[in-house]
Amino acid sequence: MPSRIVTLTVNDADHELIATPGLTLLAALRDALGLTAAKRGCAQGTCGSCVVLLDERAVPACLVPVETVDGAAVRTLEGVAAGGELDEVQSAFLDGFATQCGFCTSGMIMAAEALLADNPSPSRQDVVEAISGNVCRCTGYEPIVAAVLDAARRRAGRTA
Amino acid sequence: MAHRQTPIDDTYFAGERAGSFTVVGSPVARSDARGHVTGRTEFFEDVRPAGLLHLKMHRSARHHARLVTVDTAAARAVPGVVAVLTHQDIPNNLYTPLKLIGVTPDDEPVLAVDKVRYLGEPIVAVVAETEAAALAGAAAVTVDYDDLPAVFDVEEALAEGAPLVNEYQGNNYFTYEGHHCRRVRFGDVDKAFAAADHVFEWRYQSSPIEQAPVETTGCVVVPQPDGRLRIHSDTQACFFTLDNTALILESEFNKLRIVGGTVGGGFGGKVDVVVEPVACVAAMVTHRPVKFVYGRYEEMQVSSPRAAERIYLKDGVSADGRILARQVRAYIDAGAYSRHTPYGTTKAAAHFPGPYAIPNVSIDCHCVFTNRTPSSAMRGFGVTIGDFALESQMDRIARALDLDPLRLRLINAYRDGDMKAHRKLAEGTALVEVIQKAADLVGHDLPEPYRSMSSTDRKGR
Amino acid sequence: MLSHVHLPGSAAEAADLLRNGGWLVGGGTVVMPRVNTGAVPVDSLVSLRRAGLDDITVDGRRASIGAAATLADVGEHDALAFLLPVIRSIASPPVRNLATVGGNLVVGQPYGDLAVALLALDARVEVLGADGVREVGVAELTVGGAEVLTAVHLDVPDSGTWFYRKAMRRRHNSAAIVTVAAVVAVGDGVVRQARIALGGLAPRPVRAPAAERVLLGQPFDRPTVEAAASAARQGVTPLDDAYASAWYRDRVLPVHVRRALLGED
Repeated sequence: MPSRIVTLTVNDADHELIATPGLTLLAALRDALGLTAAKRGCAQGTCGSCVVLLDERAVPACLVPVETVDGAAVRTLEGVAAGGELDEVQSAFLDGFATQCGFCTSGMIMAAEALLADNPSPSRQDVVEAISGNVCRCTGYEPIVAAVLDAARRRAGRTA
Repeated sequence: MAHRQTPIDDTYFAGERAGSFTVVGSPVARSDARGHVTGRTEFFEDVRPAGLLHLKMHRSARHHARLVTVDTAAARAVPGVVAVLTHQDIPNNLYTPLKLIGVTPDDEPVLAVDKVRYLGEPIVAVVAETEAAALAGAAAVTVDYDDLPAVFDVEEALAEGAPLVNEYQGNNYFTYEGHHCRRVRFGDVDKAFAAADHVFEWRYQSSPIEQAPVETTGCVVVPQPDGRLRIHSDTQACFFTLDNTALILESEFNKLRIVGGTVGGGFGGKVDVVVEPVACVAAMVTHRPVKFVYGRYEEMQVSSPRAAERIYLKDGVSADGRILARQVRAYIDAGAYSRHTPYGTTKAAAHFPGPYAIPNVSIDCHCVFTNRTPSSAMRGFGVTIGDFALESQMDRIARALDLDPLRLRLINAYRDGDMKAHRKLAEGTALVEVIQKAADLVGHDLPEPYRSMSSTDRKGR
Repeated sequence: MLSHVHLPGSAAEAADLLRNGGWLVGGGTVVMPRVNTGAVPVDSLVSLRRAGLDDITVDGRRASIGAAATLADVGEHDALAFLLPVIRSIASPPVRNLATVGGNLVVGQPYGDLAVALLALDARVEVLGADGVREVGVAELTVGGAEVLTAVHLDVPDSGTWFYRKAMRRRHNSAAIVTVAAVVAVGDGVVRQARIALGGLAPRPVRAPAAERVLLGQPFDRPTVEAAASAARQGVTPLDDAYASAWYRDRVLPVHVRRALLGED
């Protein structure tokens, strides 16, 4: 089995890893690089627990053969905030009780980060659409939607 | 941040409460939330010991069949496959998770022996260096089946001539202290039906409901230098899992250590002790760490759902809406094996008259075996579907008698000191007050006699 | 088990590789779930990510979309804004960032809503095989094991002639109960051109010729649309699946055709 060396820039740091054929970006992040924030919930792109930013776009990492994205820039939840500080989305989730079991949280936050980068003042409907690929079985989604809207307000307040 | 800050309404039970109750209704930060939002919370699958092997299961492709031959040669030949386990490798292959609270008999093989009783039942476990090799190995197992007639309906399963699902049980029902169902008898329903102005009988039923946690059921077992096994699991019941696993492994309890408590959604679906025993055997056989985690398809197909139920409710009611007698026949679908459903059926029997004071009650709750996925715990199991039936019944009675559904409930609501059908004295009841408050919140008119009712006395009964 | 993931630099190279077997991967939203969760009957994947098939060009009314362009690429293209409601009705944003136009054309119903739209647009699909390039319509599209779907060509419809509606279980991220896409052009007070395509009903998107005939030559008003909506049921035997029963699909099909054409909510 010809494994390949793949280079990724993950959370601003360059990494090389050995990819066996068909290794997913999710497995590469979790097993090769030890970045376990992104979760495997379904391995078929339907639960959203593994959503990360790939070249600044939100994608389910379980659907990406890592060999096909050699050289890409990836951001995971571990790379959202620097130096132990929380960013606006994280702190809004924390304060707004938008987590329960925590398993969907990483994917939710990354989907929210992608939305806010693109659309800093989203409507409620925009938020609902942005997280429509992320399953949460605990919260009923309302606190999550509220937290993303709150994060947008916090970010606007900071940059104003 | 003032999120969901709900003050307590202290107009009710004013004389009964001491203290200020500042915690209920006030937000308290979750101790684990910071870990969640930073991705540092460690779930079982975030544990990645060196040399980790992967276990995948070859599962029954039949609902009910004898196993003629099980051929694992091709699986063993798949590159990367390290071990192949059958029932012969499991020290104590027969179990039921509730044996710890005295529920018998053991009725479920860890790995199928001579027969499969539901679609997806585990037959052969394949352990390999990679997940892909384990999947390929599991797919390479070949099984010859001799198909048996299958039964999927609770009442058909109890009918004369139905195929026997579970030989360990001997009947297609669980036996409760010599009885074919869990029974409650209170007063005399036949006499009360004869005296009632109206008798209503309706049928209710539900389908199985999957808990669908986002994190699938699984564990990572790591052999320790001292010979113990460290089990990282997403079980909802660490000690229960430890004890049951030890009984299946025929191991001392202190040879196992469970690391858990972080569950990526459970909702009752992660109490069955299904993945840990096989993973432990695999780790013991290979002397290496082993991960056994369900795929999404397995989680949907074989992890135990909430039981399907069929419920017949027959009520004798007076012209003014007093329920004089309630007879319940409930059929609760355990699927092929007990799991937690004999217990859920008992809960149902105790719950069934509902939160109402009914002087004559007769309840038969049948725990029925069928060739469906074993059912087990899920949020209020044994109670939730019963409540759907009971409250639907109350609404239909109200409609039939042209009564206000809230007043019908208030007339019949249990009060402190009432003897319930299963001989528990009702205490701390609050149904009357909850209905009064609900009526206020939705602007529903309640006249004075209903307003002045209280759970603490008999006024208006 | 997989032993190779190929990254061909062109469609021709991809087609060459596929002659030795293997699965073609566009966005991976269909192939990777199989790779991740079961024994894979092939030993290689051929990815189109580096094959240069993701260009979108719009020249006047003529649009060409590379087969490996993502659904998100299509949705973000200003000149293809009429397709945005179609794109937003498919899956979720993260999946749309991977899923490709070519993949959407070959996936079976009740998925593949863009394919329904492309059928209504009378789009032509370019397929590269051993014998060179062939062009087919969406309804007739089949792709052989060693063929590569390379591009889609279509005419951007005139303003006011494009209609789309997808009925689903939830507002977002759900497969089709019924998908309706149509180009209806009116001239001198009557319908001059009508192409209605339906999804969620058969393994491939289908046209609704009886409904089209009802519209043609008639004023584009409520009575005509209602008659056309009823006619849309002719010759249709809907799918029965977890999203909806065949009975339900058959029953609501005229409702959604009517709502699509009248722009009703």
